[in-house]
Amino acid sequence: MNKKSYFILLISLAFPIILLGCSLNSEDKIVSSTANIEEKSDELILAIGSEPETGFDPTTGWGRYGSPLFQSTLLKRDNELNIVNDLAVHYTISEDGLVWTVELRDDVMFLDGEPLTSADVVYTFETASTSGSVIDLNNISHVEAINEWTVQFSLKEAQSTFINSLINTGIVPKHAHGSDYAEKPIGSGPFKFVQWDKGQQLIVKSNPKYYGEKSFFNKITFLFLNEDAAYAAAKSGQVHMAAIPPAFSKQEVNGMRLEALQSVDNRGVMFPFVTSGETTVEGYPIGNDVTADIAIRKAINIAIDRQLLVEGILEGHGTPAYTVADGLPWWNPETTIEDADIEAAKSILEEAGWVDINGDGILQKGSLNAEFVLMYPASDVTRQSLAIAVADLIKPLGINIIVEGKSWDDIQKQMYSNAVLFGWGSHDPIEIYNIYSSHTAGEGWYNTGFYSNPVVDDYLEKALSATDIEKSLEYWKKAQWDEKTGFSAKGDAPWAWLVNLDHLYLVDVKLDIGQQRIQPHQHGWPVTDNITEWKWLN
Amino acid sequence: MNFLRIMTQKKSLIPKLNLRQRTLIAMIVSAIILLSVIFAGILLGDERIATNLENRNLAPSLDHPFGTDWLGRDMFTRTMKGLTLSIAVGLIAAAASSLIAVVLGILAATAGKIIDSIISWLVDLFLSVPHLVTLILIAFALGGGMKGVIIGLALTHWPSLCRVIRAEVMQLRSTEYVQISRKLGKKRWWIVTKHMIPHLIPQFFVGLILLFPHAILHEAAITFVGMGLSPHHPAIGIILSESMRYLSTGMWWLAFFPGLCLLIVVRSFDIIGENLRMLIDPHRAHE
Repeated sequence: MNKKSYFILLISLAFPIILLGCSLNSEDKIVSSTANIEEKSDELILAIGSEPETGFDPTTGWGRYGSPLFQSTLLKRDNELNIVNDLAVHYTISEDGLVWTVELRDDVMFLDGEPLTSADVVYTFETASTSGSVIDLNNISHVEAINEWTVQFSLKEAQSTFINSLINTGIVPKHAHGSDYAEKPIGSGPFKFVQWDKGQQLIVKSNPKYYGEKSFFNKITFLFLNEDAAYAAAKSGQVHMAAIPPAFSKQEVNGMRLEALQSVDNRGVMFPFVTSGETTVEGYPIGNDVTADIAIRKAINIAIDRQLLVEGILEGHGTPAYTVADGLPWWNPETTIEDADIEAAKSILEEAGWVDINGDGILQKGSLNAEFVLMYPASDVTRQSLAIAVADLIKPLGINIIVEGKSWDDIQKQMYSNAVLFGWGSHDPIEIYNIYSSHTAGEGWYNTGFYSNPVVDDYLEKALSATDIEKSLEYWKKAQWDEKTGFSAKGDAPWAWLVNLDHLYLVDVKLDIGQQRIQPHQHGWPVTDNITEWKWLN
Repeated sequence: MNFLRIMTQKKSLIPKLNLRQRTLIAMIVSAIILLSVIFAGILLGDERIATNLENRNLAPSLDHPFGTDWLGRDMFTRTMKGLTLSIAVGLIAAAASSLIAVVLGILAATAGKIIDSIISWLVDLFLSVPHLVTLILIAFALGGGMKGVIIGLALTHWPSLCRVIRAEVMQLRSTEYVQISRKLGKKRWWIVTKHMIPHLIPQFFVGLILLFPHAILHEAAITFVGMGLSPHHPAIGIILSESMRYLSTGMWWLAFFPGLCLLIVVRSFDIIGENLRMLIDPHRAHE
């Protein structure tokens, strides 16, 4: 045997070791950045969230999830998701729902000592609506300052969900907002910015001038680690809190407890609702003849064993999902269905004329095979597992789901004509409108299945234009199921919602993270919503 | 495999066989291992790799010799199917690669100075960049997937063999018996078929087989970094990269058995290639 064969042997041996090396590199980083933290009473080190790529400017999207830290908002939600005042002392909505008037507190200072006035609010919303970022403020016709402490928003159309713009948008100082604001933010929020090392960490300190309840902790460090590194950091006692995936939840970690926070961070299968034939403006095909059949969609909804998915894939850290907004104030509890019922699903298919003519185990209706593609983003292990498990759970029905892992770019081209494993979940009911209204059909990631139902549309419009929040809640619920129709699985079933993920955190046993609300679609930042309430347990 | 090598080296163990017989035996055993992997991959049914959420994360047992993964899929079946897929991809890619090498090698040696320098430059260019980098570039440009991986492998693994073939042909052209044949008025075609090809065929086959391990390892590597096949396919690179997530939770069997199998398969190919060279290469046949 010559040198070459030894070389190959060496390569084959070294291969797994090199791979191991890659995954270990990220762990070195934390060691250097945190050096072994001592238990200082007013310092906190967290490895919970991903880094906000665009920085900390609310006019380009910072603070949509979780506390904006450096800025404060006009209104906010309390831990029960009720809307309460923050910068605002009072707000009124005109009869027609078009004019919103907000009165501000007169005692709020920015960090640099300048007072926060209506001019800053006007500036913030005008900048945000023209920033072309993720923030959707298209509905604002104009914002004006009535006097120093009063702001008036005029809308193009009545929109009850506009209140969420007031909840989510941190107010920036007009006098100190420039191109580098996103990297050196100042504001009126509970924390002041100290340092941001891109790709590594963010350090903040408590704002001594904050008008509200000040944070218990004087200094908080946010480490930006991937899941493996965060877990390793928690295991070695370098962080007080770490966000972890379900796979790590079975392991006990010394000095840490597992917090499983309920969420509406849901995962579900979106079915193309219309038959094939059309194409979008960009030329992508729309519709799928198999999933356009309501019997197929209903049968899948009824046959899936959601509890099994929760137990098997999420290690029990999740809940079965029936709609996009389970547990939120605008959720209709009647949408819950009996699932895991293969027999009922079979009879639905039989009544609709699906039979296995050629005996290959897959149903047919005329020349159509009960077969469609389910795409999932290849980078997401949970969605991959859900997609594979659903395909296997549905197989006994005689429906063949072909699972394909794709990049988001590929999914974007094919999502109008194939089922996709999507995830949503928001504290803003506008999401329901975006996913189910026929007006948003084919608009970006929204209603990609081209779902439309005039009755549902009507309820959605009414919910949007309602001036009374309570009234709007009722319409959101009716859009889901009004005893006759709706967009839930009982009605048209354009989606098969599968699970709500619990967001898992390893938390220092001595750390009290307060009463956490139902978490929206992001694992990480939303947990900071009540960060000023966090403290050490005695 | 080490055992086999010891057998082939230490004469005292099996004194009755000569080197040629031992070489043959090593080759046959290796081939049997490879064939049994392929047959296992083809014959094992898909139902063994269907999700079975009650049986997830099981340690190796009689039912599941390699354990099960986080979806309850049998790791033995997944590994066998993964290896079969990898062997198939490697086979196609290595064959295409050696074909490219032979054509370019002969062209370089026979078609004049300019073409020779162009091809030599190409060879140098490809050899100067790590395989994996070119491979990722090509696979990415082709949109990834099975097609991307195979074409990428085929286009990156030819240069070294190409160099060997070029040198071989050049050397043959200047040998005395070829010169004499030419002087005696033999046709060009006669020289090529009677003098050249018998020397080139062993180079081709040995090159082909020695390319296998490279191709398989690179296929596994590129899939490991996520540029290759869709992540639910049972490819060996995917299985290994998935298993890394679970190593920290103590599920060692997800990485150990598939890694070991990959090692054995690659080594088997290597043994076949090396021994084949000993048997049919005219320069080494008498060693």
